[in-house]
Amino acid sequence: MLKAANPDRPDLLTWAFLALGLALLPVGLYVALSAPPDVNQGYLARIMYLHVPTAWLGYLAFFVTFLYSLLYLFRQDPRHDRVAMASAEIGLVFMGLALVTGMLWARPTWGVYWTWEPRLTTTAILFAVYVGYFLLRGAIEDPELRRKAAAAVGVLGFINVPISYMSVKWWRSLHQTQSIDLTTGKIHMAPEMLQALLFNLLVFTLLYLGFVRFRGFLAALEARKEEA
Amino acid sequence: MRRVLLLALRDLRLEVRDRSGLLSLLAFFAVMLFIMALALGPEEGSLRRAAPGVLWVALAFMSTLLSTRAFALEVEDGTLDDLLLTPGGKEWIYFGKLLFQVLLLLPLSLLALFMAAGLFYLPLEQGLPLFLTLVLGVLGYASVATFYAGLLARLRGREALLPLLLFSLVVPVVLASVRATAGLLEGLPLGEVASWWQLLLVFDVVYVTASALLFPVVLEG
Repeated sequence: MLKAANPDRPDLLTWAFLALGLALLPVGLYVALSAPPDVNQGYLARIMYLHVPTAWLGYLAFFVTFLYSLLYLFRQDPRHDRVAMASAEIGLVFMGLALVTGMLWARPTWGVYWTWEPRLTTTAILFAVYVGYFLLRGAIEDPELRRKAAAAVGVLGFINVPISYMSVKWWRSLHQTQSIDLTTGKIHMAPEMLQALLFNLLVFTLLYLGFVRFRGFLAALEARKEEA
Repeated sequence: MRRVLLLALRDLRLEVRDRSGLLSLLAFFAVMLFIMALALGPEEGSLRRAAPGVLWVALAFMSTLLSTRAFALEVEDGTLDDLLLTPGGKEWIYFGKLLFQVLLLLPLSLLALFMAAGLFYLPLEQGLPLFLTLVLGVLGYASVATFYAGLLARLRGREALLPLLLFSLVVPVVLASVRATAGLLEGLPLGEVASWWQLLLVFDVVYVTASALLFPVVLEG
């Protein structure tokens, strides 16, 4: 995901990811809307095709931030920091989307937009951690200290991701458990719905890759301007 | 190991000799409890229900104030560089400061617990489990606080930035501590509270190890 030190424009791969992701987005929407309704929830379950991929990508994005923050701390290469920052930003957007879609689903299902059960609480905490990440970045003037402090938050803050992911199992909360359980590899879902979900996951992953690369490129431009 | 102890004891001695800092912390805590007690109303039931939350929020504020003191003197007197110049690894500086913070926070939080018990009608029958919760919670809090205090030691305006960073990272610790305390006060069996202790312990171990590993990397340069 790294780029040359001083790119002039986003490279071909970035455009390819973005174009493919944007082109497949309506297809994903069509697949999601033509998937069969759920036995219990009816058509309401379709929000899952947006909710699950965004939540997953939020987790993934924060994991990438964690990795590149570690890399930055040990290699001190500003490029790693730019990727970490870009990924955290996109992750924050996806996490926000997951929270919003979750709330829209919760209102007709549980009767309330928000309830303080473990999954929601840990996700909100996660969101707050990465909001703090950007507040910190904005507050420190010295670029090197800023990168170091941000990397430390990127590493320490990631601890909340597995907790958020596992919270539905540990506390047996109101939120349903994973339909595709990554820890045991079991899938609890009808094949047609699974296909639609996986397709949407692919689309959002493509978009994520494109966005992160593009944001990394913008960050490189910003850094060049800051130095000049 | 000896260095860790020496550093912690030196800081403790400085802090105890100074006194004004500690006293202002305690006064701050007491005033905060008073305000909370006034705000939450005179009924015994509602006060008792709010007590664990109030206790831990007040403790969190107090330890944030305390954490800025971990490195403030070092930077003022320019002794941080001397510490960094000592040969060998740098982890011991972190452990020394962490020990100092924990040693200072524990008695303070015990006092705080008694104050809260007096004002909020808390029953203190389960003293030992409550103390265990205090130890685990304080350790979890101090681990992140010390780390960030070191990281931001040389930064101007760190007093504003530190709470912001700390609170978001430390929410899980506060959450687990509040739940454990509330469970104890409601008289739940220890088996049910133990899961919160486990969670606290996991956080403590992870935060202490991660901070100790990252500390040298972050502090140099």
